[in-house]
Amino acid sequence: MTHRPGQDEEDADVNVAGETGVETPGSSGLDSSWKSRLRFLLAVLASRPLFAVGYIIVIVVILLAIFAPLIAPYPPETANPTDFLQPPSWRHLLGTDLTGMDVFSRIIYAPRIDLTIAIGGTAISAIVGSLIGAMVGYYQEMGGTRSFAAGFIMRTADVLQAFPVFVFAIALVAIFGQSLQSIIAAIAFVNAPIYLRLMRSQVLSIRNMRYIEAAYVSGAGDMTIMLRHVIPNSMAPILSQLSVNIGWSVLLTAALSFVGAGVEAPTPEWGSMIAMGFQNIITGQWWPSVFPGIALGVTVFGFALVGASVEVLADPARRRALAGTLREKKRPGPPVNNAAGVS
Amino acid sequence: MRILRYIGKRMLFIVPQLVGIVLVSFLLVKMIPGDPALLMMGPMASTEQLALLRSEMGLDGSIMYQFWIYLTNLVQGDLGNSWQTTRPVLEDLFMRFPATLELITLSLLLALLIGIPLGVAAAYFRRSVIKKFSDYYGLLAGALPDFWLGLILIYFFYTIFQIVPAPLGRIGFAVISPPPVTNFLIIDCILDGNWQALWSTLGHLILPVVTLGVITAGPILKMTQSTMERMLESDFIRYADMCGLPKSVVIRQAFRNSLPSIVTIVSVLYGFLIGGAVLVEIVFSWGGAGQYAVQGVLNADINPVLGFVLFSAILSLIIYLIVDLIYFAIDPRIRG
Repeated sequence: MTHRPGQDEEDADVNVAGETGVETPGSSGLDSSWKSRLRFLLAVLASRPLFAVGYIIVIVVILLAIFAPLIAPYPPETANPTDFLQPPSWRHLLGTDLTGMDVFSRIIYAPRIDLTIAIGGTAISAIVGSLIGAMVGYYQEMGGTRSFAAGFIMRTADVLQAFPVFVFAIALVAIFGQSLQSIIAAIAFVNAPIYLRLMRSQVLSIRNMRYIEAAYVSGAGDMTIMLRHVIPNSMAPILSQLSVNIGWSVLLTAALSFVGAGVEAPTPEWGSMIAMGFQNIITGQWWPSVFPGIALGVTVFGFALVGASVEVLADPARRRALAGTLREKKRPGPPVNNAAGVS
Repeated sequence: MRILRYIGKRMLFIVPQLVGIVLVSFLLVKMIPGDPALLMMGPMASTEQLALLRSEMGLDGSIMYQFWIYLTNLVQGDLGNSWQTTRPVLEDLFMRFPATLELITLSLLLALLIGIPLGVAAAYFRRSVIKKFSDYYGLLAGALPDFWLGLILIYFFYTIFQIVPAPLGRIGFAVISPPPVTNFLIIDCILDGNWQALWSTLGHLILPVVTLGVITAGPILKMTQSTMERMLESDFIRYADMCGLPKSVVIRQAFRNSLPSIVTIVSVLYGFLIGGAVLVEIVFSWGGAGQYAVQGVLNADINPVLGFVLFSAILSLIIYLIVDLIYFAIDPRIRG
């Protein structure tokens, strides 16, 4: 990856991702120093409270994952058979499940597994998918074997995407064996075609731009053009896809565990917790299933919101519009003043 | 005839695509560890018995040889047997696919009933509560796990209020099922004139349909809203508005022009739900096709998985074909 100053397109941290809108050369209307970027982000969050909620959820979930051992009142995998199916009380905040494990502690430990799988799977699929997509987009119209290979890859992606996602993921886990790595691999595999297509369509539109032509004429090689010019300028939609995709992968991980093809039973994981409480809910003990489901839904919701904010921030036009409305709010006055404020 | 030529061209592409899908799924499923012969006979079987069974099932040949056998059987309409149900996969699928289709068709109808009016209203009243509500709805529906929502609904409407039947299958145990004709239970009940069974079937359908419908309404709502917003801002709608046409006419025109993208998202969702309804099927013990396939994967029973993938691929191709026909009907530019 090449690094232009002030640009961190590889960073998985959503906060950074939120600010790194990629701009077409020469069009940056905004000051790009770090401090002002941060101030801008905070101003956006203040004006769009829903986005702020998303960031708070994501940060809290990540903190829970890191500090779980300090927060959780009970060890997550120790069953206390005398205390099974206790309703929520002060002793067990969210009750206990069928085996007597504390639901609250398990919910707090769960993002360790769920987020590792989701972020790992998404990162692999994004890197591999967009690299292949960039190649395909770049070489597609060059004719000869390259063009043929590009076509072959796209047809393969067609066939892979024709499979029912869920059954495909379960089959992959079954092939690789039921382990953390194989769930990550399955999620990466299922998601990769999304990035492949996204990147390909981006590159297809960018590779005909004048500045690419200029780079080519001035003697830059394929690799240089791709890494320095094509990929950095195609990152925006990929970035906004990332966060949404992480949330979606958490959902898929939970679903896999729910049918018994994901994380196995005593390990705290939201989907398998819901599955464990499944039978109890019919007889009226709702807490072992309901609370993990809420945690799962809120997490996915948070990542979706962050994704939505990145979508706005990463699009230079929308970001400038947003910056405009923010300035108007701050400085209500005649439009002449505003024009002065911009420059 | 333009339309026939169009369909013919589509059909040409379908065959290689289907072969590709079958090949990939065959290789994929073959890679799943687990010896079907061993699973069938149990751990007590002798080596000779196992070898005999393997050669009977064609398991001792090379992978390409096995694939060739599968393909030749396929052409004759033989999808093999499932060792779990000990029945031909084709029969099993003809029993289970209607269950899934009945479920997802009704769910999509419900999703359309929720999504389209909300989306249109949210696009038209842009600074209203409805717009806020539909924004939240779209985000929430995308975040909620459907299997969990199903459990919550079961808890409230079965465990607490007891107004729906137990979430076990498509029809009550005490009710005499109608003779299977189409395997779509609603149709079978009506054909049989068995109103008690129909009532029971509808009762069993309510919760799973609501679960899937409420979740699936999210994407439909978003698509309707964004397309309608774009349409309402377009020049021809502004012109119609400025000419003083009544609001209802303007909205109807904008909606008619948003239809193609709504049809597209519905077709994508339909294809997705064929496999994606699995979780809800499991929660409600529905006995649908997706559930059958998942059981197959988890138990190294390959023929059901292959059959399911093939069936759902063919079904999505049929759906896309129907969608093209609908485009023909609603977009005069294609008819040309």
